[in-house]
Amino acid sequence: MDYTNQKQPQNYSQMEDLKTLDLEESVSETIMRDLRMIAYKLKYVLIPKEQEDNGKELRNWDLWGPLIFCLALAMTLSFKADSTTSSSKSDVFAIIFVLIWVGAFVVTLNAQLLGGKVSFFQSVCLLGYCVFPINIEALIIAFIGSYLPFVVKLIPVIICFAWSAYSSVGFMASLVPPHKKKLAVYPVFLFYLFLSWFSLIV
Amino acid sequence: MDFGIQNQTDEQQQANKESSNQNVNEGNKKQSGCCAFLTVEFYTPYFNVTENDVIQRIQGTFLPLKPDFLNLIRGNPDLWGPIWINATLIFMITAIANLRQIDEEKENQSFVISYVPQATALLYIIAFGTPIVLAAVMKFLGVDLSFFQTICLYGYSMSTLLPITILCYFQNELFLWLIIVYGFANSSLFLIVNLKEELDKLQIQKKYIIIGIVVTMQLSLYLFYKLVFFSYVTE
Repeated sequence: MDYTNQKQPQNYSQMEDLKTLDLEESVSETIMRDLRMIAYKLKYVLIPKEQEDNGKELRNWDLWGPLIFCLALAMTLSFKADSTTSSSKSDVFAIIFVLIWVGAFVVTLNAQLLGGKVSFFQSVCLLGYCVFPINIEALIIAFIGSYLPFVVKLIPVIICFAWSAYSSVGFMASLVPPHKKKLAVYPVFLFYLFLSWFSLIV
Repeated sequence: MDFGIQNQTDEQQQANKESSNQNVNEGNKKQSGCCAFLTVEFYTPYFNVTENDVIQRIQGTFLPLKPDFLNLIRGNPDLWGPIWINATLIFMITAIANLRQIDEEKENQSFVISYVPQATALLYIIAFGTPIVLAAVMKFLGVDLSFFQTICLYGYSMSTLLPITILCYFQNELFLWLIIVYGFANSSLFLIVNLKEELDKLQIQKKYIIIGIVVTMQLSLYLFYKLVFFSYVTE
């Protein structure tokens, strides 16, 4: 059976109908479908114009996207590690990986403790997707960083950091009561600052 | 009971677990039960502050001899400060230590990032472990210590390290030692003055045990800071 000519499902509920046909399709189909979902969610999270329903699409959270971006970032930074840091590659990989997941966990927990009513994984999903600009920045610095002075390297770092922070702050700030907004937003800012700094340094 | 948690098939289990936990505790007014301290609800009362409160509390730590701080936190100790001041410090230690190492002439710049796990362990053990130790010792000496107030106190005492870390950027050894000693004196005084209330419940000799523990931990923190993170940078 061939599904390549069907109209691509635009959201998760349409996917449900196709679920029963999973076992009969080829592996590449399954993987491409998941990748398309990730790409769709990525566009949704990072391009502010796409969000017309105030983050409701995020209810269909998934952790594949965050995992892919986290692994990509950790691998990019650890490939360069030997020549530029005095720690080994595995140290760098471990620190970045732990930092992203523990960081996302703690930031979400913080929002919940401040009285925010949000599902835990939804927020981790959002924070994970917003790591994508940091990925871009790490790749830029990895490829052409050695030819640029430190100050010039700061420009893409600041742009990508601002992009990440701006995308996730809108969602985070809407979760908590207004007088605690800055308390919920500051940890997000610190989280992306930390990751940006690492992509600059390593 | 409605927690506002989005109802989703994947979330059902988590929502049900949390609501049944809450129902179990509904019977007793206080959150009791062997694992109450593992739920989110147990800690929510300690996050009842606004950003202005936090800023005022941090400002209260810079003048240790004025007992303003206790008045600021009376009845409303918070945990936001201790957690995020330490997180900020971890970032600043890494950033400033790396900035110190920048050397324009060197071809392949090598930056240290192993400070992250070291700093995390150091700061969180001192900020949260010392109050636990103090509470245990005080209990042993027969007096109760208001636990969350002490954690709050310790967490905010770390904010002395914020400007000190920034100043550690400069390479002058003498200057670094001066500010480290100043930081140690400032935070130790701050802690002792604010613990005075609790200490007054003890006899004179036993007070010195507590003061001794406090001072030792602060000393080890500041020495670690100087000797490991911002040690002498070779030319």
